[in-house]
Amino acid sequence: MSELVLQQVSRWYRNVVAVNDVTMTIGPGVTGLLGPNGAGKSTLIAMMSGFLAPSSGTVTLDGTPVWRHEQLYRQIGLVPEREAAYDNLTGGQFVVANAELQGVADPNAAATRAIATVEMQPAQHRKIATYSKGMRQRIKMASALVHDPTVLLLDEPFNGMDPRQRLHLIDLLRRMGAEGRTVMFSSHILEEVEQVASHIEVMVAGRHAASGDFGAIRRLMTDRPNRYLIRTDDDRSLASQLIGDASCRGVILRSDDGLDVEVVDFGRFAVVLPQLAHSAGIRLLEVKPTDESLESVFAYLVSA
Amino acid sequence: MTNATIVGLTVRNGLGSRRAVMLVVLPVVLVGLAITVRALVGVDADATEGVMVGLGITVILPLVALICSTSVLAAEVDDGSIVYLLAKPISRHTIVVSKYLVAATATALFIALPIMLAAAIMTGELRGAIGYAAGALLGSVAYSAIFLLLSVVTRHAVATGLVYVLIWEGLLGGLLSGVRWLSIGHWSNALAVSITDENTLPDAVSPAYAIIATVVVTVAAIYLAGDRLRSFRLTGDE
Amino acid sequence: MAIPPESGGRRSVIHDIGYSKYDGIRLGEGYTWRTLYELGVKHCYGLGRAAKYKVLPMLMLAIMLLPALIIVGVQVIVSLDEQVLPYSRYAVIMLFVISVFVAVQAPALISRDLRYRVLTLYLARPLRIDTYVYARLSALATGLFVLVGLPLLVLYVGSLLSGLSPGSETVDLLGALGGAAILAVMLAATATVIAATTTRRGFAIAAIITALLMSYSIVATVQGIADEQGATEVAGYAGLFSPFTLVDGIQVALFDTEASTSAGPPGALGGLVFVAFAVVIVAGCVLVSLWRYRKVAGR
Repeated sequence: MSELVLQQVSRWYRNVVAVNDVTMTIGPGVTGLLGPNGAGKSTLIAMMSGFLAPSSGTVTLDGTPVWRHEQLYRQIGLVPEREAAYDNLTGGQFVVANAELQGVADPNAAATRAIATVEMQPAQHRKIATYSKGMRQRIKMASALVHDPTVLLLDEPFNGMDPRQRLHLIDLLRRMGAEGRTVMFSSHILEEVEQVASHIEVMVAGRHAASGDFGAIRRLMTDRPNRYLIRTDDDRSLASQLIGDASCRGVILRSDDGLDVEVVDFGRFAVVLPQLAHSAGIRLLEVKPTDESLESVFAYLVSA
Repeated sequence: MTNATIVGLTVRNGLGSRRAVMLVVLPVVLVGLAITVRALVGVDADATEGVMVGLGITVILPLVALICSTSVLAAEVDDGSIVYLLAKPISRHTIVVSKYLVAATATALFIALPIMLAAAIMTGELRGAIGYAAGALLGSVAYSAIFLLLSVVTRHAVATGLVYVLIWEGLLGGLLSGVRWLSIGHWSNALAVSITDENTLPDAVSPAYAIIATVVVTVAAIYLAGDRLRSFRLTGDE
Repeated sequence: MAIPPESGGRRSVIHDIGYSKYDGIRLGEGYTWRTLYELGVKHCYGLGRAAKYKVLPMLMLAIMLLPALIIVGVQVIVSLDEQVLPYSRYAVIMLFVISVFVAVQAPALISRDLRYRVLTLYLARPLRIDTYVYARLSALATGLFVLVGLPLLVLYVGSLLSGLSPGSETVDLLGALGGAAILAVMLAATATVIAATTTRRGFAIAAIITALLMSYSIVATVQGIADEQGATEVAGYAGLFSPFTLVDGIQVALFDTEASTSAGPPGALGGLVFVAFAVVIVAGCVLVSLWRYRKVAGR
């Protein structure tokens, strides 16, 4: 089990603050680092991977600072954003070289395993110069996995991948997380993070805006009304009942069936809704929260 | 202190066909000139000095060292692929020494051997050949280290190296005699002159000083380069 | 029963909500060329870029001016009444500095655009690729002309101050400035061709400096030997193969200056050969550059 701990980390360049007083702990499982471009995600990953020193604060892996400690790279696998440039090596040679540099016991066997994990066996004897972007990404992943690291850091790994490769990478990351590795990837695309990460960290303008499961984050935002979609067998009647209760702020009858309800008091609403429905003889067919998506959480955080 | 994989990767990537052309042109020109001069003038001390020192050691040697040293590191730093070497549990000094080995060997191959050949042609005797070859080797060792350090420290290693050679070794070296204590070109020349026993450099530093100074500068440059590489910052694009 | 398309279906329409098109004067390609040219000249000296890009060109300019200032100082103080140094010799003496300048600045103008693949952005404007190449070439040549010409002006002012005859000085100066212009064009053309072959700036710098220094070294050595052997014709024609000696030869032929190399171009025929050779080289380099850029832009 490896834990990356950031303690009050800040990073500034002259008078531009790229990362502002961030404290977070990245543990086993898949964590998504989410934020708009320019939010400081790359800076944060650079600091976590030992390629940038924090201007203040500490970044430690199991207690050891990451900056200027090469031996920690035994445990860290890094998949950088920029493209691999060893163009005149074949994919296989590249991964084997990485294995040798990592000091792995049997570089060739480790490389074969890693290449199999990313499903690049058919292309491994071709030069990297002939690879597509997605293939380069996968060979980079293989090179990061070859030494079986406990920590995996990926900077915008889904960039440039086609849908099939995306699904494959999602599956791979989930597996890594399930194996107990500490996987951290950054993205600005919400759907990707939603599908893979069990835990998200949100960065906005250099600040750590939120942390946790996005459903939980949503529920923490009590100053925003929740929205629900409710389908019943008598919409209008339920609507008039709901608007009479203090927990609801607005009810809209949708043109294609159902009610959009804006709820200000979630707890009360959860109790009141079945009571009202039951006493009015209305049958509830579907009750669904419509803004617990990461997108809406994100939108709220960004605009805050 | 060296890593075979790094050496292998560096050799494979460092030498493209176009760089090889440049690296071949320089010594070919030198040897060609040596042959021409010898054919036309015979063995002549002034001509020898002009070609071997004025051209070979002062101009071609640093140029070849610059090309070799920047091609083992600068390109990788430039496009970010050095991250694959750095994100490994390998001491930075090992990385630098491995790359230095490739750079210095390449420099020696592309200039020390040709200088030896050219000197043999121009002086017609073994002593001259060995003398200039030794001087060139000394220069290769020191220049490669300095230029490798430059490649780690700045993104404009080639331009900076050129200005250094032009101003320090070229201009000031010719004008101010005090510079000779700190000029690699001068040390190379001094060693060559002491072996060939020619009196072309009246106030040369002693060969012992030249060798010691070279070792000191080389070790210091390599150590500094390794240290700076530990603090290497991977920013996005420039 | 056929339903006419207008009724029943919905028509597409764009409403005029006051979004105005630009109907005014569009500045043509000439304006684009001029802007690119001005920017190129400024970039030659690092103006308009970060401070670190000004260091080298300004340093080279300072080193170019230094001897001229010293000479002027000596002339004025000691009241010499003859030229210390013929104007036309200055470029040959300072060839190392000029070479470093062009070796570093040409890639800054040429290789940078290629590296970051911005040519397609340039060509999305009313700009043909040929015009782009000419703009870059002339900007580089202008920058070089300033580098070589400014010290000559300093020398001229110094000569006037120390009382030398304005008539002959002006004639000499104009001749040397003509030579400087030819040198600038020639160096710009050759450097552009070399820089255009690569996107790596460091590589381009090394290649240009190698070409310039090696060509000069060969020529100087050959001339030295030929001189000793008394083969003045060989020495003369050897000057064809380095831009600096070539331009010096042209200056001798056209402006009747003193030769700064060991032998000028032999006779009137030699002069013609020199000029013709220069024209061929420049034209060749320009054509190759155009060809190379057309290929790149066509991708």
